[in-house]
Amino acid sequence: MTLGTVIGAAWGARHAAGLDGAKLLTVETAGGGRVVAIDRLGAGPGDRVLVAHGSRVRDLTVGETAALKDVVVAIVDGVSP
Amino acid sequence: MILGRVVGEVWATRKHATLEGRKLLVIAPRYWYAPSHECGHLVAVDPVGAGIGEEVVVCVGDPARRAAAQAWGEALVNLPIEAAVMAIVDRVELAPVGERGARPLRTVGDQR
Repeated sequence: MTLGTVIGAAWGARHAAGLDGAKLLTVETAGGGRVVAIDRLGAGPGDRVLVAHGSRVRDLTVGETAALKDVVVAIVDGVSP
Repeated sequence: MILGRVVGEVWATRKHATLEGRKLLVIAPRYWYAPSHECGHLVAVDPVGAGIGEEVVVCVGDPARRAAAQAWGEALVNLPIEAAVMAIVDRVELAPVGERGARPLRTVGDQR
């Protein structure tokens, strides 16, 4: 999993059927890369999030039909120390 | 699996239900030779009880899910994770640089 910050939302009027109703967020990871992740937790711009990657992670969280492999699995309150 | 050092712990109130009560650690990779996974950090669940500053072995990828559940003694394998701490390292021995084969061991991150 990777820590990142939500920098915006992603929309696509025409999209794969499995993404119907999915909320997609653009997340900038701590390393500077960007991923588009599905969010079911209600994260918004500026939130720090934990993004998990992989088809099994996707199957277990948002279902097998979503054509995407990055999923927001936690909204981060903080990192210690 | 990769070697890394625990550099932090993640706190999150809103998270996937199966992650409730699971410790999430920030890991800085140490000696890591999987370029596809190269990054500054990764976050792993911790069933073994590692602390900040400790060297750990981290299982990466889908097997981490099953391994973590097993380490917790649970039949549950529906954790949406792909990294889990599997061991706390006492000592690492590396062959001298010239004896590591044609491909040098790749090192990533803070090597102190």
